[in-house]
Amino acid sequence: MRSQPDARELLEAAERTLSGEVAPDMSNRQRYNVALVTSAIGIARRELAGGATAWPDELAALKELYGADALESGEMALHRLNRRFAADLRAGVYDESGRNRKTTMKLLREDVCARLAEDNPRYEK
Amino acid sequence: MPLIPFIRDAAGADSVAIDDGDLLTGGAIQENRALTVTIHGGAFDGRHDLVLRAEAAATISESRPLDQQFALLKTAAAAGVTVPRPLWYCGDAAVAGKPFYLMERVSGSALGNRITRAGAQPALAETLAQELSRIHAITPPQAALGFLGAIRETPAVDAIATYRAYLDEMPEPHPVLEWTLRWLETNAPPMGDTVLCHRDFRTGNYMVDDGDLTGVLDWEFAGWGDPHEDIAWFCARCWRFAAPRLEAGGIAPRDVFYNAYEHASGRTIDLKLVHYWETMAHVRWAVIALQQAMRHRSGDEPSLELALIGRRLAEIEYECLNLTGALR
Repeated sequence: MRSQPDARELLEAAERTLSGEVAPDMSNRQRYNVALVTSAIGIARRELAGGATAWPDELAALKELYGADALESGEMALHRLNRRFAADLRAGVYDESGRNRKTTMKLLREDVCARLAEDNPRYEK
Repeated sequence: MPLIPFIRDAAGADSVAIDDGDLLTGGAIQENRALTVTIHGGAFDGRHDLVLRAEAAATISESRPLDQQFALLKTAAAAGVTVPRPLWYCGDAAVAGKPFYLMERVSGSALGNRITRAGAQPALAETLAQELSRIHAITPPQAALGFLGAIRETPAVDAIATYRAYLDEMPEPHPVLEWTLRWLETNAPPMGDTVLCHRDFRTGNYMVDDGDLTGVLDWEFAGWGDPHEDIAWFCARCWRFAAPRLEAGGIAPRDVFYNAYEHASGRTIDLKLVHYWETMAHVRWAVIALQQAMRHRSGDEPSLELALIGRRLAEIEYECLNLTGALR
């Protein structure tokens, strides 16, 4: 077992120290750099809390559209299915309303919202 | 320093002294250096605050070469647009290490967050709308702008093809952007008026001093297009910085900007076309963000600022879904 506190807690503490204690004593230019570093730590911390994708059901949703390949790793499947999904969207496969169009829109929505929660949780929707 | 004889010859001066020089912040794509020079003799006799603009180490594919930027700046200045006065272009890399041009430095700040934290500024929005109408009064043909590519099919269809080609160069697929591009394809408008579009006319790219506009900057993306493209880019959510509720650039309500533009240009703004081009604006910003992140990821230009632009993608894509009705 690892010693504690864990990675997420350490990143959170580093983030707080940077923005709360280091930044106020700095020049504008360095404060800007600290804001960048703080932002990167925050994103990394939230990403570490999740799984392989920001949206845990992404692979399941893609498999619902395209079927599963039992021999493939999750990561490979995600990449391949997303590539196919993107190509189909471009080709107009999901233009017509129907069950798949609803699944498609849900997939896009869930994916964006989950990534937004990691990358910029304070974004005003 | 070969820069001194260059300025001396270009200015027709007896002698030139460089008093001060410093790297300016801002402009992730170009490199801007502040210079203060004293020129003795000739038409430019006196002390001048200048900006030396050169290409950054790696550029993004849409960015125009410096000699073209310089020609655009001169055309805009001649059309009465408030810009930093363009002085001299130098294509000889021996002078400063790479091609550059010099322009007068205008006072104030272009920082989007600072400008949009000052509250609603309707007068500034009206001034900007008038500036945009002056840019849009520049129409083809223009002898000095022969390098601007002609519109192939329509500005919208051309843009869709361009952004798809850029996406094809990216290592990962982008379903949300593909969805949005397909929406843009099925909703593409017919050919409209063709004018000079600035293509980066937004808060963050103009200088403001004490509430007054001092210069429209960053002409590297300009080209022939539909005037609604610039109006939509100015109003797009991604360029409102600290004031997302002030929909015209984070500085005023839309109608203030629209009314001033219509009054100054004599054109009528088609709201459906603004919505269309605002959707295109987010795809464009998404593609630029992907390219900026690639500058970091490729190792060409390691930079935390560029890396973080890659993680802006989700918020841009959120707006894409919003504008195409996919959030409902």
